[in-house]
Amino acid sequence: MSATLERPTPAVAAPRRVAPSKDSRKLIRSQVRAGWLLLAPALLHSGIFLVIPIIFAVALSFTDYSFGDSWSWVGFENYTVLFGDANFRAAFVNTVMYAVVVIPISMAVSLAIAIGLNQKIRGLGFFRTAFYVPTVTATVAIATIWLWIYNPGSGLANGFLSLFGFAPNQWLSDPGTALPSLMVVGIWQGLGTKIIIYLAALQGVSRDLLESSALDGANRWQRFVNVTWPALGPVQFFVLVTSIVGTFQVFDLVYVMTDGGPGTETMVLVLDIYQNAFQDLRLGFASAETVILMLLIAVFIGLGRLLQKADVND
Amino acid sequence: MRRGARSGVVVLAAVLVGLAAGSCGNGVIDKSTDGVPPAEATGTLRVLIPSFPASNKGREEFDKVVADFKKTYPKMKVEPDFATYGNLNEKISTSIAAGIPYDVMVTGVGWVQTFASKRLFADLGPYGVTPEVIRDKSIGAMVPAAMYEDKLYAYPIVADARAVALRASAFKEAGLDPDKPPKSMAELKVAAEKLTKRDANGTITRTGFDLAAPLSFRQTYTTLLASTGTPLYLDGQPNYSNAKGVETLEWIKSMINNVQVYGQRNAAQQPLVYTGEAAMGITGGAVDCSDKGIGQANCDDLRFFRFDSGKEVQFVGGDLASIGSRARHKDAAWAFIQSLIKPSSVDAIAKLNKKIPAYKDAADSPQAKSNPLSKFVASGLELAIYEGGSANWLEMRGNFDTQLTQAVLGQKDPAKTLANLSGQSR
Repeated sequence: MSATLERPTPAVAAPRRVAPSKDSRKLIRSQVRAGWLLLAPALLHSGIFLVIPIIFAVALSFTDYSFGDSWSWVGFENYTVLFGDANFRAAFVNTVMYAVVVIPISMAVSLAIAIGLNQKIRGLGFFRTAFYVPTVTATVAIATIWLWIYNPGSGLANGFLSLFGFAPNQWLSDPGTALPSLMVVGIWQGLGTKIIIYLAALQGVSRDLLESSALDGANRWQRFVNVTWPALGPVQFFVLVTSIVGTFQVFDLVYVMTDGGPGTETMVLVLDIYQNAFQDLRLGFASAETVILMLLIAVFIGLGRLLQKADVND
Repeated sequence: MRRGARSGVVVLAAVLVGLAAGSCGNGVIDKSTDGVPPAEATGTLRVLIPSFPASNKGREEFDKVVADFKKTYPKMKVEPDFATYGNLNEKISTSIAAGIPYDVMVTGVGWVQTFASKRLFADLGPYGVTPEVIRDKSIGAMVPAAMYEDKLYAYPIVADARAVALRASAFKEAGLDPDKPPKSMAELKVAAEKLTKRDANGTITRTGFDLAAPLSFRQTYTTLLASTGTPLYLDGQPNYSNAKGVETLEWIKSMINNVQVYGQRNAAQQPLVYTGEAAMGITGGAVDCSDKGIGQANCDDLRFFRFDSGKEVQFVGGDLASIGSRARHKDAAWAFIQSLIKPSSVDAIAKLNKKIPAYKDAADSPQAKSNPLSKFVASGLELAIYEGGSANWLEMRGNFDTQLTQAVLGQKDPAKTLANLSGQSR
């Protein structure tokens, strides 16, 4: 026979609403004012550089404005034309492909390197600096260096492959290799920031939990899967969101290295927007494309959130 | 929302609206000086100009033009914007969006009709510039490129011409006569295939014919098409979606990866025929035969000619000066253009940019006499053909490039590509 002991539930009295005193009201008001004052610079910045341009972009997307002295409202015509536009379709597919390949690979490689840099190894400072250098280097400079690496005649890539008997490749002008070549640069360039973030997160993983799990007999892999990986959850989401935004907005790398070619093989959305707006002078059309890009990023971030929630629920 | 929060939002909104309204104003724009005696006119003349390179020499030559302008407008300031052809449209479009238009805009051949149709350029007729004046004092063949709906919107400064060159030594080695260059597309293909060298693996080691179009076939296509007697546009209507147009595109397609690898260019981004990397090819309008350039021996090996598949033509672009239709200083802008087109200024611009002065008798200019290629292209300016011809050429030329490339790479059918492009023309 067993008896269940139940803890007596204390009688909880309903909270009584107490009217704040005059002094506390004054304090709250002054705190609210201070809060708005501190928020004001950021709100002002966001208002001028984000809210107003977004409103203008959405409004322009319903016009045929092309920098001339006349324009008219065209309703959804820009959007209709956009979905029939071969360049837009190519840019859309290439951008999604670029993001789908670059984001997971760069996140996985960054995490692996961050785990390596989180160990007590010799020359740690050097490696941390070396991995971060591409992040603080101008993309144009990076692109120029990679242009040389990919140079079919005298580039390092073909030079290295020739040691193994491979024929020289036209990396950036061959339709089959142009986009993958850019992806390699994109992955390499994006490592530094992600590594730093992962490294900070890894150093915040509870030592107690790691030691406890080790004492319980968990091996390295089990400790990583059951302790480290769950602890990285919020950081994973942050890295994912910033990576989505970054890869969908890839521009300078493509602009310098291929300008979207050959044909439309490396055309990406921001480059297409830029060309439509400032080369072809179709600002209304380019604005419609911008709105689509914003929605696309929102959708991918939403998917990321769903994955994150599913991961947490698991 | 609490009262504090509400008042914060209201204040923020007021600031934003104020800033937005302020940014739409014309506070930085001068009062118009048109009609004011030049000696009394004050203000800032905004000049957009890609004709002076970003070097000390470039700035020095520009200052000479300003000094000449100031003889007429002593109190006016000149604010130059030394753009490049790569960012010219960005500069113009952002200046319009910002409400601070340029007074003088120097653009290229393909720009004038598009900007005239958008009413961004002013008609030069009121300043006495007519097609007859251009024919009399400048290059008559450039008149069509400067006209839109029977009005003239630009004054040529320099011409940027292209020729074709061959290496005499390569011709002799292949048993061809360098004094009888192949000029038609059919002849060029036969000769180029003979001149192409390959290694044991079949990799091209010397290009037979350099199309000078690693990423863009637009100008090469325009020139080759015109050499069949078929201009790109006829009376403003597209003239390439036809048998000649398809034949020309098919010809380019047959040359790529046959006599030249797609995307080939050297580190100096110079025509490959200058260095012997190609036996024949399209060139620019000048060659430096000094030791700092390609050297006299290389120069002596070059022979120049033009495409001729029924009509001898020479592709010509160039720098043309226009007055902004929204300029606040139109009279001063015209005075500045007059300083810009003086022979001394034009000679300096031509030398700095390796282009040909767009004045009468350019063949006698210092630039034409400075090297054999400039002399050759200067003698053929009246055979000029140019790209464009429709009001929306600037809008569609990027797409023109892209689609031609796709057709050349076999991703699209040439005939369908040209029909599609023709349909986009307005």
